[in-house]
Amino acid sequence: MNKNFTLLIGGIQGEGVVSTGISLMKALSRRGYYTLSERKFSSRIKGGNTHVAITIAKKEEVNSVESCYDMIMAMDQDSIHLNMHQLKPKGILLYDEDIKIDEEWTDGLRSIALPLSAIAKKHGKLFMKNTSVIGCLGKVTGFTYEVLQEMVTEAYGNKGEEVLDQNIAVLKTAFNHASTTISRASFFDSEPAQAKKKMMMIGNEAIAIGAVVAGCRFMAGYPITPASDVMENLALIFPLVGGKTVQTEDEVAAIAMTIGASHAGVRSMTATSGPGMTLMGEGLGLAGMTETPIVVVDAQRAGPSTGMPTKMEQSDLSFLYHGGHGEYAAIILSPSTLQECYEMTVDAFNLADRYQCPVIIMTDLNLSLSAKTIDEISFSEPVIDRGQLASTEILESSYDGGFTRYQLTENGISARAIPGTKGGQHQVTGLEHNELGRPSDHPENRKAMMDKRMKKTDPLKEREGIILEGKASGSTLFLTFGSLYGTLKEAWMRTGKNVDLARIGRIKPLPVKQLETLMDQYEKIIVVECNYHGQLANIINQETGQPQKVKSITRYDGKGFSIEEMMEIMDRWCQEWK
Amino acid sequence: MEMKDYGNGLNPTWCKGCGHFSILRSLQTTASRMNIPREMLAVVSGIGCSGRISGYMNAYSFHSVHGRSLPVAQGIKLANPDLIVVAAGGDGDGFAIGTSHTVHAIRRNMDITYIVMNNQVYGLTKGHVSPVSHQGFKTKTTPMGSVDMPLEPGLLALASGASFYAQGFSAQQEELIELIQNAIEHPGFSLVQVFSPCVTYNKVNTYQWFREHLKSADEVRKADPSDYLGSMQLLKETEGLCTGVIYQNRTKLSYEELHQEVKEKNLATQDLRMTEAVYQQITERFKL
Ligand SMILES: Cc1ncc(C[n+]2csc(CCOP(=O)(O)OP(=O)(O)O)c2C)c(N)n1
Ligand code: SF4
Repeated sequence: MNKNFTLLIGGIQGEGVVSTGISLMKALSRRGYYTLSERKFSSRIKGGNTHVAITIAKKEEVNSVESCYDMIMAMDQDSIHLNMHQLKPKGILLYDEDIKIDEEWTDGLRSIALPLSAIAKKHGKLFMKNTSVIGCLGKVTGFTYEVLQEMVTEAYGNKGEEVLDQNIAVLKTAFNHASTTISRASFFDSEPAQAKKKMMMIGNEAIAIGAVVAGCRFMAGYPITPASDVMENLALIFPLVGGKTVQTEDEVAAIAMTIGASHAGVRSMTATSGPGMTLMGEGLGLAGMTETPIVVVDAQRAGPSTGMPTKMEQSDLSFLYHGGHGEYAAIILSPSTLQECYEMTVDAFNLADRYQCPVIIMTDLNLSLSAKTIDEISFSEPVIDRGQLASTEILESSYDGGFTRYQLTENGISARAIPGTKGGQHQVTGLEHNELGRPSDHPENRKAMMDKRMKKTDPLKEREGIILEGKASGSTLFLTFGSLYGTLKEAWMRTGKNVDLARIGRIKPLPVKQLETLMDQYEKIIVVECNYHGQLANIINQETGQPQKVKSITRYDGKGFSIEEMMEIMDRWCQEWK
Repeated sequence: MEMKDYGNGLNPTWCKGCGHFSILRSLQTTASRMNIPREMLAVVSGIGCSGRISGYMNAYSFHSVHGRSLPVAQGIKLANPDLIVVAAGGDGDGFAIGTSHTVHAIRRNMDITYIVMNNQVYGLTKGHVSPVSHQGFKTKTTPMGSVDMPLEPGLLALASGASFYAQGFSAQQEELIELIQNAIEHPGFSLVQVFSPCVTYNKVNTYQWFREHLKSADEVRKADPSDYLGSMQLLKETEGLCTGVIYQNRTKLSYEELHQEVKEKNLATQDLRMTEAVYQQITERFKL
């Protein structure tokens, strides 16, 4: 019996492929299944082929979408010839009978033609083809007709009576047709145990929820794939808690506005992807120099330039790590799971306020956009640490205009005074400045201020930032981050865990102390990442100086690794380091 | 509060005779006349000789980066609508690197005031052509004279939907103070463009030149400042060389009026704690 079931739904962009997938995932999750999807799409809105692969499991959260499918549901021709070779030997191809089929493709395969378009046209409109798909797939995955009707009602209830009625007619006919032509896939014969409460979301949504829980009440952004959902979600949530989103004229304005809002006392963030991140370089420097806390999400995609906007890559890392012009302290967090997207975002706001510097939450396209069923993230009141704020006593005791916003302190952190606070008026400038915030390029002052700013985040170097899986048994440690972690974990579980596995959650400051311990412990640390240079491996080498310990495995074709490829790599390394 | 209470005792680094001095004094005098509590005044500036203005104010001042005073200022205002927010910068700041922010800030119509300290040259970089320099203007980067057509700030502002647009002259300080006060009192975005001669790098558009060319808007205009086309015409007829309130639309709703929640809720001072009930509400969409 298979541990999971993988279904691919493909069609022409704009035909409702993704929404069909999501509806199905939601309905399955309500029945107790865990699901994870991966979208493959072009940046075109309509016309290009798009498909979504969904892996469905019964017992626990799905780590990675399988690259071999148990079933393909094709609404267009491309979906067939692009994916046929990934159908398992016993898999089934379901396809719209209107598609012209090349005999060669389906030779020796189990394939069933379904009147998807015909039913839609007869009982409604052609564009209701996706409802035919739901009817057929509903049958295959073991739904009762009533549940499917509820699903369709939920989706089209607000689109007017006629649209709803037609969709229901399409659904009914498709379901009945499927009942006579296809049977339920055996994976769905037994139902999962309905133990835990579940949620379904994408990484960007988990980040948005985390931000609101952390007390973020301002977000300025400029739309870009795959980051836009952060702003879209906050725009929906903020009215409930009293917050504000602004779609600015560009990313330069977005980060500057974020800095202004944060300076004025509200927890603020922005979110973007590579091209926007470049524009935000200016603002990162300003936040670094003025010690203004901000949170910036970089949902990475394949660059440089517009690159492959809908493909996965992790190639902004070097740029983020080394920053733009000049030097300043910054923190980079790297979530690998939805739970971490949530938790690290909460953490990011505390770190930003505590260390008064930019905090970057670095994700990647797959983590940002893949919908996943997870066990419910339950509420626990977050710790909200606004960092050092000047007390009224201090402000009242300083002479007029004498508040030392940039006081030189032991740990480099000095108290802020928020505009509106009496006695706290001071200057903030992107120029080098003295303790009062007044411009000064005196060499002694410059050195003292640089040291102050740079040492603020030093304590984090001592703190752990790598999360290990396994029991430190092997001689090889596989280290990765972002959405690759799920794939590595699945491969690791299947290869018999002869190597150890870890993900890095904080890249800057790099957990140098922990890395040094790991280097003593392991023969080799194999860093797996999606970029050309092996950027994380390079950073680790630069900071720890033991390149002989580090091996880098990279991929930069926009596809990422499959579970099978990862298993092969792990096996090979196990042999070599036995 | 006296005018001097809005200064911080620093001596401006500006050249003797620079028009920017008068703008600083006008802003301080306006703050004093309006009796703005210093902690409630936020002055945000860009980079340039002009950008230094925030650093001479006893207020919450923010000297940002070249061209970005407006986004920073809008962020401050959105966070805390109780603050009086004034942004300032040069013509390079507002009409070259920051043009897009100027246009979009006008469009958003937030209740902030923007003072453009226009000397038709880049002072800080030691005399380069600006987008409002006249054709033929010779600088180090335009040794044969500038070929590009100058932008017309007034027409740009009005075309972008400005609800308040005024022009002043550094040498007419009393008028300038009044204009800045009108601008701050205007509910919505107010732009005050000030002819502020650079005595070091602009030997063409000097105090004398402006005295000869500037007209009083009130004397020239045929219609009242609420008349959009009349104001456009005034700018056209005077080639932009006039001072006074050029245009004011009191009926256009400000950002704050359109977004009541912004006015009612001070984001900067609200309680951040989240209750379980609210958490359940915001996560409802994701539950199964
Ligand atoms: C991104 C960036 N580009 C260029 C500069 C250099 N720079 C500083 S001020 C300035 C122009 C100043 O002219 P203006 O805004 O008219 O102000 P003024 O000095 O004349 O008052 C330039 C180009 C900079 N600081 N930042
Ligand atoms: S260079 Fe020009 S603008 Fe700059 S301070 Fe001197 S006179 Fe003023």
